[in-house]
Amino acid sequence: MIGNRKSTMENLSDRKRPAMHVAIIGTGNIGTDLLIKVLRSPQLDCTAFVGRNLSSAGMMKAASLGVNTSPASINFLIENPNCYDLVFDATSAKSHQVHAPILKKLGKLVVDLTPAKIGLMCVPSVNLTDSLKESNVNMVTCGGQASIPVAYAIGQTQTGVDYIEVVSSIASRSAGPATRQNLDEYIKTTEDGLKEFSGATRTKSILNLNPAEPCIDMQVTIFAKVQSPDIEKLAPVLLQQVETVRKYVPGYEVILGPMVENGRIVVMVRVRGLGDYLPAYAGNLDIINCAAIAMAEEYACVADVKGER
Amino acid sequence: MKSKCQKRTHQDCLRILDGREQELEPLRQSNLVMVGGTGFVGTWIAEMVAVLNDEFQFGIKLSLISRSTKEFAGRCAHLSSRSDIQLVESDVRHLSQFPMDADWVIHAAANPDVRTHASNPLDTASVIVEGTMSVLRTAERLGRLKKLLYLSSGLVCGAQSESANGIAEDAQGAPLPEASFIYPNAKRFAESICSAARAQSRLPVLAARPFSFIGPYQSLDTPWAQTTFLADALRGNAIRVLGDGHVVRSYLYGSDAAYWFLKILTTGESGDVVNVGSPVGVTLQELAKTVAKNFDPTPDVILNTAPRSVGRVSRLVPDIEHAQKQYGLSVFTPLDEAVKLTVQWHQLSNH
Amino acid sequence: MRHNHKIRISDPTLRDGSHAIGHQLSAKQIAAYCQAADQAGVSIVEVGHGNGLGASSLQLGESKTTDSVMLGTAKKNLRSAKLGIHVIPGFATIERDLKPALDLGVDVVRVAVHCSEADLCERHISFCRNQGAEVWGCFMMSHMISPVMLLEQARKIESYGAEGVVFMDSSGHYLPDDVRQRVEMCRDELSIAVGFHGHNNMGLAIANSIAAADAGATLLDGCARGFGAGAGNTQLEVLIAVLERVGYSTGVDLYKILDAADLAEHVLMKEIPVIRSVSVVSGLSGVFSGFLKPVARIAKEFDVDPRDVFFELGRRKIVAGQEDIILEVAKDLATRAAKGAI
Repeated sequence: MIGNRKSTMENLSDRKRPAMHVAIIGTGNIGTDLLIKVLRSPQLDCTAFVGRNLSSAGMMKAASLGVNTSPASINFLIENPNCYDLVFDATSAKSHQVHAPILKKLGKLVVDLTPAKIGLMCVPSVNLTDSLKESNVNMVTCGGQASIPVAYAIGQTQTGVDYIEVVSSIASRSAGPATRQNLDEYIKTTEDGLKEFSGATRTKSILNLNPAEPCIDMQVTIFAKVQSPDIEKLAPVLLQQVETVRKYVPGYEVILGPMVENGRIVVMVRVRGLGDYLPAYAGNLDIINCAAIAMAEEYACVADVKGER
Repeated sequence: MKSKCQKRTHQDCLRILDGREQELEPLRQSNLVMVGGTGFVGTWIAEMVAVLNDEFQFGIKLSLISRSTKEFAGRCAHLSSRSDIQLVESDVRHLSQFPMDADWVIHAAANPDVRTHASNPLDTASVIVEGTMSVLRTAERLGRLKKLLYLSSGLVCGAQSESANGIAEDAQGAPLPEASFIYPNAKRFAESICSAARAQSRLPVLAARPFSFIGPYQSLDTPWAQTTFLADALRGNAIRVLGDGHVVRSYLYGSDAAYWFLKILTTGESGDVVNVGSPVGVTLQELAKTVAKNFDPTPDVILNTAPRSVGRVSRLVPDIEHAQKQYGLSVFTPLDEAVKLTVQWHQLSNH
Repeated sequence: MRHNHKIRISDPTLRDGSHAIGHQLSAKQIAAYCQAADQAGVSIVEVGHGNGLGASSLQLGESKTTDSVMLGTAKKNLRSAKLGIHVIPGFATIERDLKPALDLGVDVVRVAVHCSEADLCERHISFCRNQGAEVWGCFMMSHMISPVMLLEQARKIESYGAEGVVFMDSSGHYLPDDVRQRVEMCRDELSIAVGFHGHNNMGLAIANSIAAADAGATLLDGCARGFGAGAGNTQLEVLIAVLERVGYSTGVDLYKILDAADLAEHVLMKEIPVIRSVSVVSGLSGVFSGFLKPVARIAKEFDVDPRDVFFELGRRKIVAGQEDIILEVAKDLATRAAKGAI
């Protein structure tokens, strides 16, 4: 568990507490992977897995796991508002534009995994407290989730952060048509997120797709141009960020740096996925899901503390 | 203790692998999943894997997914009971997960029985088309997948042009869009779907186009020429040839086919299409005579029906230049030998 | 086939050449070369950072001159030649980079992707078409997939409405037969034009370009004096001479292109491109030529053999744009060497 709360396991041993009821809308590969993670979480209970097609692979998987499914998509959530408190939206940006106001009216918490970016950008290791105050948070981008903790550490410890550049390499097979047709949006959102969380004057995000087989894990390099690089100051703060991220993304590790090379700070991280439903090499897809789950678990903790469940 | 039959098929595989096992080296210590794995091809692949594991310590784990696993277990207990072979009962259309983290997948799920094509064309199409989509979508989520081999059909390019000796992979032409041709049309469409999966999801897929096969494990009940002739002869009857006997086909032996498929699977490049079959065409009359001479007394060969229409010969024989040049494949078991081995196997299993 | 077959010449001296000088082209240099190339009669003059529009970055090297100044200067100094740019989706975005470039008067856009990722081009190509620009799809590192797969990707480019597809031999790895096969296949199956962009790591850039032309390519790239990444590009003035000699017409004036090459040598280059040992290795291992400088620098830093770095990059099938991996590979090699030495 992140933040200052007691760990999940510690809390559970104290007393049995009911898990937070969550719904997942969007039954594609992302939504199905989320479902498996929810089922594994002691703090979350999936009470609805909804989409548009009962015979999709995800729906069949959910049904086989005994989860309540519906092809009525958002309408199911409208008609059954009492069975959930939080919704993961794994549909599309366009659909989320429709879902968000509906769910807001219903007073539900929303974790948005689409590129819609209606709510606050959320990177659990960095802005957990602020995110918990919001009822709609979005998970930025995969490159964002992987690089912002590092960019944040740089922003916290270095003076004069002029420029941060993030290069993400992902397996070609982990990038479906949706990613490919929204490359520009991905780049812009990641750049905005980097700026927001690091305070850098200028940011740039680059995405490389590599078709090599066997498929490569997600690899992200963070470059920073700062006035006077201070690795000694950076290292412990970076380590703390990385340790926090690893609590919810076990496959996240620093493989190079922090170091100064050619006058710039360089950190390289690799993200290997859990392989719950998506293949393990798709660390890029997994990190967003893991971050989303972490956020939901934090909401669950807060609700519990408030005695709202 | 192997039965005589099992020894024969084991020997068939060993004969092919002799001096060639290193060609299949990529299979070593890997997981192979076969969808539609309990038919003729699946059974021979299982036999080949058993020999690779027993004789050459390849350590392959094989999963066979099928709707008829019980039937297979009854028929081939020597394979189904092996610890390195796992049977999974599932309809290919509802596949949501592969039984193990597969390095290699062979997708052969389809019903090749022409009677089913005629009586249940929609179901035939559904299994092939929806089944293929399901397999590909599921394969997308495999983390270690090296290659997926789709077993298409030599019929996807429609009728063989009369001028061609053998149909090459780039033959132009397609089956007519009618119910009678639902099987080759569905196979053709499934081949396009594989191509689309490659284009959209970057799945490493290639296709093989099987022509006709012969060998143990082919049910004598099916209404093909080779099985009908064998059935007739084994029953001690005269061999009846429907038609004038001038239809030309070619036949590849089961163990040859298994080796060909595995070689193509492991060394083929994504996007390739390869004919799998014998390039040696024989008329059905010649085939009937070849079957007949394995029996004593030699059964009569009776030709049937109308005299052949002048100038029209139905010929379905593959051009295997690509298989030869790219994969170094050839016919290892000539037809005479193939027929003899098949006859003997049936005779042994009847005892 | 040869006589009466016109070859269109595209000159990326001021773009690919940028790799050779760490992307430090000045407006003055651009103006000078543009004038010379324009007078020589080349069809397209391509200008920009070595990795194209919006690629100035820590990853790939920062430009001395901004994209807008480079393109504005070039536009002013081209009269008949068209102004071209190289654009890689993932580096350049439509809003931030492409739109302003077209507003500046860019005529030809070559949207470049790694050869197996043609669908990344769709939106950029559509945008350019809607703005009325001439747009091509470009396949970088095109040796890395089979001709059949390349054709599949080229079909996508055709479906997006591009004018043609250019095969880039980004690592100088091709043999003439490889080129011929790919160009022929696309000429047979597609209705769009085919172009070829050669690199000289194996000394075959000219031969490969001629093979491309013979197989039906109608657009060829060449850089003055071979100014380009690694061992250099197809040497433009030599290409013109050879094309004319074998019977193709190019519309380029031989003397004037020789003058342009002389100018390039004196005004643009620090040294004339030559095939050095490392370039042979990068060509053989099929690694992006543009990696030469970062590999040299990083190999020195980590005290490893740059040739080993190239072979390892080739083994891992690293694609253009993945310069950050060089660091990881070098570090890895150094660690292994240290362990071995103990």
